[in-house]
Amino acid sequence: MAKAIPKKGSRGRIGSRKSIRKIPKGVIHIQASFNNTIVTVTDVRGRVVSWSSAGTCGFRGTRRGTPFAAQTAAANAIRAVVDQGMQRAEVMIKGPGLGRDAALRAIRRSGILLTFVRDVTPMPHNGCRPPKKRRV
Amino acid sequence: MPQCIVTSNHYCPPPTIRCFSFTSVLPSSIGLEAAKLGCSLMYRRRSSRLVICMAKERRVKMVAKQIQRELSDMLLTDQVLQYAILPEAALGADRYLSSLTTISDVEVSSDLQVVKVYVSVFGDERGKEVALSGLKSKAKYVRGQLGKRMKLRLTPEIRFIEDESLERGSRVIAILDKIKSEKKTVENQTVESADSIEDWDDEDDDDIIYVKSELQLLLLFSSNSVTVFV
Repeated sequence: MAKAIPKKGSRGRIGSRKSIRKIPKGVIHIQASFNNTIVTVTDVRGRVVSWSSAGTCGFRGTRRGTPFAAQTAAANAIRAVVDQGMQRAEVMIKGPGLGRDAALRAIRRSGILLTFVRDVTPMPHNGCRPPKKRRV
Repeated sequence: MPQCIVTSNHYCPPPTIRCFSFTSVLPSSIGLEAAKLGCSLMYRRRSSRLVICMAKERRVKMVAKQIQRELSDMLLTDQVLQYAILPEAALGADRYLSSLTTISDVEVSSDLQVVKVYVSVFGDERGKEVALSGLKSKAKYVRGQLGKRMKLRLTPEIRFIEDESLERGSRVIAILDKIKSEKKTVENQTVESADSIEDWDDEDDDDIIYVKSELQLLLLFSSNSVTVFV
């Protein structure tokens, strides 16, 4: 794998690059699996601004999959960005799980305007063999 | 595999011996087989001599979880269901959704015959009606698909019920947040205008007292209400 491509702004600088960019419009990715929910806020190009998940919010085990954990994760992720002045956002939802609904409602409650809601669950055009069926 | 374990719907040839406890009557092999299936046998001490199979609680929970996984997967991948929930998917809306349907809970009866699926829809009123009516119209199709995907002795009957708890909870939290922010602004105002108390009328005092007590009540309530959703 090639090393990270050197970005234009950071040539010659060793330490961390503090990126306090003002982003009026961003994209919120919600990955909602059955056991966890990860909320990532990026800009329109896809560069991550901040993220949060149910696990990092302090829930462990089965409680990570609950809708309440999803809404705290979404609130956490957005709090960091609202201060940077994001007003509109597009939401991309991936995966089944309870986090889809709960995180969406938390985002709408926080005052950010939702422009689009898209479902980007990866769908194979009959590619890899799925794992074996669970026996109940 | 034991042959005599059936539900009351089916014809069952009555056992020849009147039974009081299954350990004394059944051959031990059938009892062991039943335990492997996760089934516990119940006998009636009457002349009907029917055998009812009730699954153990743990198995009921496992089946419920598995049904939830299968149904959520079906909602995402199955074309027929997609068209039922979102009519504009047929026109090729390219995944720009107007409403989002999620399965929030699945309850299975203890004999694994009836499944209640609680569906929560995010969107406006029309989207909710369309999604729920679409799902209800496809209940038989969903039952057939579930039977193909899951290996169950009898595929249960599926009922779709609208789940409003998530939306109600969201509304309550929105109101509480609004009250908290209002309280903050009121506090700021009282701090800033502490020197102009003599300009206030009595009515304003009454208003402020009324609002403050309600706020305090609701704030006390809010410190307990957060745990409701856990």
